Amino acid sequence: METRNNWKAWLYLAPLLILMGIWIFYPLINAFIISVYENYLPLANNGAGQATGYTLQNFVRILNDQLFWKALGNTFVIALISVPVSIILALVISVALKSIPKLTGFFQTVFFLPYVTNAIAIGMAFAFMFHQNYGLFNYILSWFGLDPVNWIGGTSSWWAQMSALLIFTVWSGLAFKILVFTSGLQNIDKQYYDAAKIDSASKWTVFRRITVPLLSPLILYISITSMIGALKAYNSVIGLFGEELGAQPYSMITIVAFVYKFRSSYTDVGYISYAAAAAIILFVITVIFSLIQGAVSRKRVHY
Amino acid sequence: MEIRMKNLTKIFTSKNKKEVRAVDHVDLVIPSGKLIGLLGPSGCGKSTTLYLIAGLLKQNEGEIFFGDDEVTDTPPEKRGIGLVFQNYALYPHMTVRENILFPLQNLKVEKSEAIQRTVEMAQLVGLQEMLDRKPKELSGGQQQRVAIARALVKKPRVLLLDEPLSNLDARLRLQTREEIKRIQRETQITTVFVTHDQEEAMSISDEIVVMKDGVIQQMGEPQYVYDFPVNLFVAKFLGNPQINVFDGIIEKGKILINGMLVGETKLPNQKVFVGIRPEGFIVDKEKTSPFQYEIDLVETIGRDTTLIIEVEGNDGSLLDKKTFKAIVDAEHRIIPGDTVHFKVKPEKMHLFDLGGKVLK
Amino acid sequence: MSDVFVLNEKAYKRKKVISNIITYAFLSLVAISVLIPFYWMILTSFKTWTQIEAIPPILYLAPSKWNLSNYTDLFLTTSAGQPLFPFFTYLKNTVLISLLTTTGTIITTILSAFAFARLNFKGRDTVFAILLATMMVPGEIFILTNFLTINKFGWYSIYDQTYSDAILAMTIPFMVSVFYIFYLRQTFKQIPNELYYAAKVDGTSDFKYLLKVMIPVAMPTIVTIIILNAMGAWSAYIWPAMVTAEDKYRLVSNGLRGAFTDTSTGRTDYGQQMAAAVLVTMPLLIVFFTFRKQIMRGVSRSGIKG
Repeated sequence: METRNNWKAWLYLAPLLILMGIWIFYPLINAFIISVYENYLPLANNGAGQATGYTLQNFVRILNDQLFWKALGNTFVIALISVPVSIILALVISVALKSIPKLTGFFQTVFFLPYVTNAIAIGMAFAFMFHQNYGLFNYILSWFGLDPVNWIGGTSSWWAQMSALLIFTVWSGLAFKILVFTSGLQNIDKQYYDAAKIDSASKWTVFRRITVPLLSPLILYISITSMIGALKAYNSVIGLFGEELGAQPYSMITIVAFVYKFRSSYTDVGYISYAAAAAIILFVITVIFSLIQGAVSRKRVHY
Repeated sequence: MEIRMKNLTKIFTSKNKKEVRAVDHVDLVIPSGKLIGLLGPSGCGKSTTLYLIAGLLKQNEGEIFFGDDEVTDTPPEKRGIGLVFQNYALYPHMTVRENILFPLQNLKVEKSEAIQRTVEMAQLVGLQEMLDRKPKELSGGQQQRVAIARALVKKPRVLLLDEPLSNLDARLRLQTREEIKRIQRETQITTVFVTHDQEEAMSISDEIVVMKDGVIQQMGEPQYVYDFPVNLFVAKFLGNPQINVFDGIIEKGKILINGMLVGETKLPNQKVFVGIRPEGFIVDKEKTSPFQYEIDLVETIGRDTTLIIEVEGNDGSLLDKKTFKAIVDAEHRIIPGDTVHFKVKPEKMHLFDLGGKVLK
Repeated sequence: MSDVFVLNEKAYKRKKVISNIITYAFLSLVAISVLIPFYWMILTSFKTWTQIEAIPPILYLAPSKWNLSNYTDLFLTTSAGQPLFPFFTYLKNTVLISLLTTTGTIITTILSAFAFARLNFKGRDTVFAILLATMMVPGEIFILTNFLTINKFGWYSIYDQTYSDAILAMTIPFMVSVFYIFYLRQTFKQIPNELYYAAKVDGTSDFKYLLKVMIPVAMPTIVTIIILNAMGAWSAYIWPAMVTAEDKYRLVSNGLRGAFTDTSTGRTDYGQQMAAAVLVTMPLLIVFFTFRKQIMRGVSRSGIKG
């Protein structure tokens, strides 16, 4: 067996650990510390920072902030709607891809395009497509005899804005999921499908009782990572709505945007503590969501 | 339910456009209610034939009939067959019970009847205690029995097994092949199984079908095919140790190997291959028989003694060494270096022309 | 039971053809939905203002009619003495950042993945588990403190930030990726132990083994990591915005959003905006089409093993 080359290994890990120490571990701990500082001025005392004490008031302040709840609500809607929708869509598309004899590679490449793009650039393209007068979406609606919708104009409703954001989010999220599901489907032994044919299973039965269960570990993984990603929605909001974060200021604010809003006032007393508190709340939410998904998966996921 | 194949052909085209005839204009009739072994070396087309019967592969030419019904264009799910895959293909996420129930659910069998049939099947294969386990909790032999149960539960017209014993260890193999025979006897379903192990095929089949390069060489009862092979390939494929093949010649009614007389025949003069089964050698105690060899190795296993003779090839090269084995009684006490004179049992000797066909 | 089984269906074949047609139609619809934003972005960038305002929208323009003024506008200097969209400045910065972070990341990734995959040391699995756990933490938590740290290092200040300060601020925090370490470790683990033992018997040091055996064998994965990481710099938005005091230090994503709206009238010049978007998107697409197989294989594999 191999010798326990203790010290050499640490040498290899040294760059990693030093860098992570400064930029990951210390900030992680520091975030918790900052969040309980009272009246924190981070740059006072020649950069050492100064606070008047410890308090949980920062958290209270956040939880009392209407904007926080708005951000929370928006973020939850994004996460709880876009993730299931895009997973189901990606599954259907992947299965469809598997069943066609030709052109699979072509479609796969096309479907992957959104992944390689800059969310802000594409977001702007979408924003223009959602334009009330010159936009493509309303034009398509008019083909079906529907009235144009004010998606993201100055007076648009929350529903319209959220719909636009959801459409954009689902659109962007499909690429990665399709790729991973397609790979996963290929890894399912063809024999199971042959056996199912002999067992007279219909296509729908095969999908429901063989493909999905065998794919379930992968679906769970995608589910968790997508949920975490959706809870961090920010770039997409900037792309679609710009720095105002909505058709009306902050109408589409998300938790992350909320954190950044406070951070930008870091020179003001205590503001960065609020940001830290909000970030920690986001962290807690993320952990809770992941735990819930893990618990649910116990019953549904087959290994 | 009789299976009839007429002119069945399957061609595979590889990436560099080379065509392989996996099954070549095969005519085959599988009698109803019998256990048939499809036997041959790898690549001979036996698995392909099985999958053509199943409908998982589409033939290029030919027709297939189940009884009076032509199933040539019928998709596999509608042919009424049960198939046991080589790797069992049990759905890993379903329990044994759910695996067996699955085909019945798809055929819309009424629920109470389906449950009853599932239990019956489990009892038939001896797994009624395991119904709520998952496949990965079962041994290889048990998994295979589940696969058999799943195949039989829908009362198929035909049962197909693809190399059913190759994934099992030696001990289990003996046990399981008897199981297969027993189940087939009880259900009377026309059963075809594929194997490359001739001993396996010979021990349980009602009839065997020997294939090579996509062509059927011979079909018949195992013992008959063993005793009366139609060509050199069949003669060599059946029998362990393999039949000994000598270069010989017929001159004026005498069969000669290297000038030594081994027997007589009415066939005309020609060069021949002389096939002698290992058990066809008799030690001539009088030492008068002209057919003699110096023995190189002796292996005694209690009841029998195997005498091993190593002979150089025709052109004297060492690479072309042939080994002949003769199985004789152990009482002769022969040791390496002895020269033994042999007599040959005529029924254990087969003459083949240079193309490999048997000569009568 | 033979009445359960239906025979000889030519209708079965017809059903299959129909289902294939429906599937292709569905996939084509999805493909079109994916391509439309790109198409619209490119098309709009070549339209004149009147064409953009046309109702109903103009769906197609022959190449001969393409108007390049949106693009040329971007490089005109505005009253502020800067081009409207200093694309090449942003490009230069982004490429530089991308190069630096990727170099740093690939070095730390290779060394760390090697240690976790090949070397045996006390606490290895615990440390690895801790690293994995950090992946679950939202980046925003780190950003707050890191911003303060950048300040303390003197790399950021509103008044006198130099170019090299800005570059340092944008690269040093990003020389590490636990995800890539995890991914490369998988690949390293697939290299058989026997190779290592044989090399050891031949007197090869660990480092030489890493250099001469593991890296070449794992090259496809390493290339994928390089490409993916380089592409990541392209999407960076919030951090560069935070730690740069002047626009000329910023990256491609930053200049995009606000630059084309006239604050007095609130009117956005969509043509210019789309032209800028095209400029920003094009390099990524070019990289993608060049390394398509690599990228897609790499991303899918990283997803599966997760």
